[in-house]
Amino acid sequence: MNIRVFVMAAALSTAPGFLYGQVDLHLAGRDLQVHGFLSEGFAYSNANNYLTMDTTSGSFFTEGGLNVSTQITDKFRVGAQVYVRDIGHFGQWAPELDWAMGDYKFKSWFGVRAGKVKTTFGLYNDSQDMEFLQTWALLPQSIYAVDQRSSYIAHTGGDLYGSVSPKRMGTFSYVVWAGGNPNDLNGGYAYALSTIGVNYKTYGGRSEGADLRWATPLSGVTVGASYMKRDVVGDGTWAFYGTVAPVHEESNKEYLQQFYAQYDHGKFHADAEYRRYFRGILVNYSLPVTDDTRSWYASAAYRVHKRLELGSYYSHFVDVRPYTGLPSTDPGSYVHDKVVSARVDINRHAYFKLEGHFMSGYAEYALVRGFYGPDNPNGFSRLTNMLVLRTGFNF
Amino acid sequence: MNYLRTILLLSLAAAGYASDVKIIVNSSVSAESISANELKSIFLATSTSLGGSHLEPVLEKGGPVHEAFVKEYLGKTDAALETYYRSLVFTGKGSMPKALASDAEVVAYVAKTKGAIGYVGAGAGTAGVKTLEVK
Repeated sequence: MNIRVFVMAAALSTAPGFLYGQVDLHLAGRDLQVHGFLSEGFAYSNANNYLTMDTTSGSFFTEGGLNVSTQITDKFRVGAQVYVRDIGHFGQWAPELDWAMGDYKFKSWFGVRAGKVKTTFGLYNDSQDMEFLQTWALLPQSIYAVDQRSSYIAHTGGDLYGSVSPKRMGTFSYVVWAGGNPNDLNGGYAYALSTIGVNYKTYGGRSEGADLRWATPLSGVTVGASYMKRDVVGDGTWAFYGTVAPVHEESNKEYLQQFYAQYDHGKFHADAEYRRYFRGILVNYSLPVTDDTRSWYASAAYRVHKRLELGSYYSHFVDVRPYTGLPSTDPGSYVHDKVVSARVDINRHAYFKLEGHFMSGYAEYALVRGFYGPDNPNGFSRLTNMLVLRTGFNF
Repeated sequence: MNYLRTILLLSLAAAGYASDVKIIVNSSVSAESISANELKSIFLATSTSLGGSHLEPVLEKGGPVHEAFVKEYLGKTDAALETYYRSLVFTGKGSMPKALASDAEVVAYVAKTKGAIGYVGAGAGTAGVKTLEVK
């Protein structure tokens, strides 16, 4: 039996007994909250290996995290979380500091977070790696691409944030942030480049942005917009035709815009998001490379029973100006994904998900959308059907 | 006429439903009333104060009072509320509120904890705490 399956089965069988609520510890007169999650997935596709896994044969993947936090005073809180994943070539079990910060809330309308902070961008950027919060086994990959997680998930710097609730106008919440980006050489971008002989020794930089959302007076309706500007530098080597040369890239003009809406009514939940990502870089100080992508999805889910939620989404990604020169109608420029999903909540802390993906297109692999040439040496099929099973627990 | 009667009956039913829950605070809180929007902001952790007093929300772990409060004042299901709190906890942007097993435990905790705010059934005894009017 696969060791991962054994560990997950053992964990799930004991979960109901000891996972009712968080673990509360007391240290030096303070209450510590400890929370964690572990998730095991299995993906099987009829064509095209996906997300650097051998999905055509069936492939397991794992994510987990553990955090500790405490309230120092009424206004000051500190905490940290460690995260680990093993999804094909991504993560490779290397533990990383997911977030570690202090949060001082002066007033409801003004607070400061500093340290390594999860980046608020769109509805789910900061929680995209915690699928247990969602109906889905895989979030819409047009926007929350597993292979690009580390590029956007957090910044080392700070947030200014707050909320105001003018009379009869709902609640406005804002976050303004700036900081350094993680240097992740186990992510999708570094992997995509490594398959053409480019090996980065460093890749990272800084970004700044803002998010503004409005929980409107209309019951359950939230709308918002986010903006991010990035300035990233990569350095390494490029091996080609038997020679090895230094390679350097830097952002020339790189930004993301995102607009979103959410609707909650009782057991019904719906989301829609749109993202434009413009990326202009200079390679070796002179060669311009440009991509201009559009991503959007619309999703809806309904809890038909206390323990069962059903949902569906359509996710759309297209590069309208690919550096490859392919037209945007070529399957190498887009991925369209129709998804149906069922989530079964075994108890408050353990769940099981069953999900079907019906994908068209494969978006050339340097676009970092799950499909990579070296993982598909016989070329790509235009269509991919994939089954994803996922189970896990959190406390 | 039947239409008007139905609306009247539904209105009365809704009013009765809302009054199934009382909002209580520690006696250190100076406010005498709270708006529905303020109450929602405090229990969703977007606001932490009322009338200059810092507030700490307290939940019940489950049951009809909890479900009535969550549906009526927060507009969510119990599962959706739990997901909401977990998204705060696992992104580092908030803490899980204390959850207690019964009205009596909530009253006892609110009575002894400065700034605590909770909810109990309309028939629960509230000695030692202050009841807030929801405007």
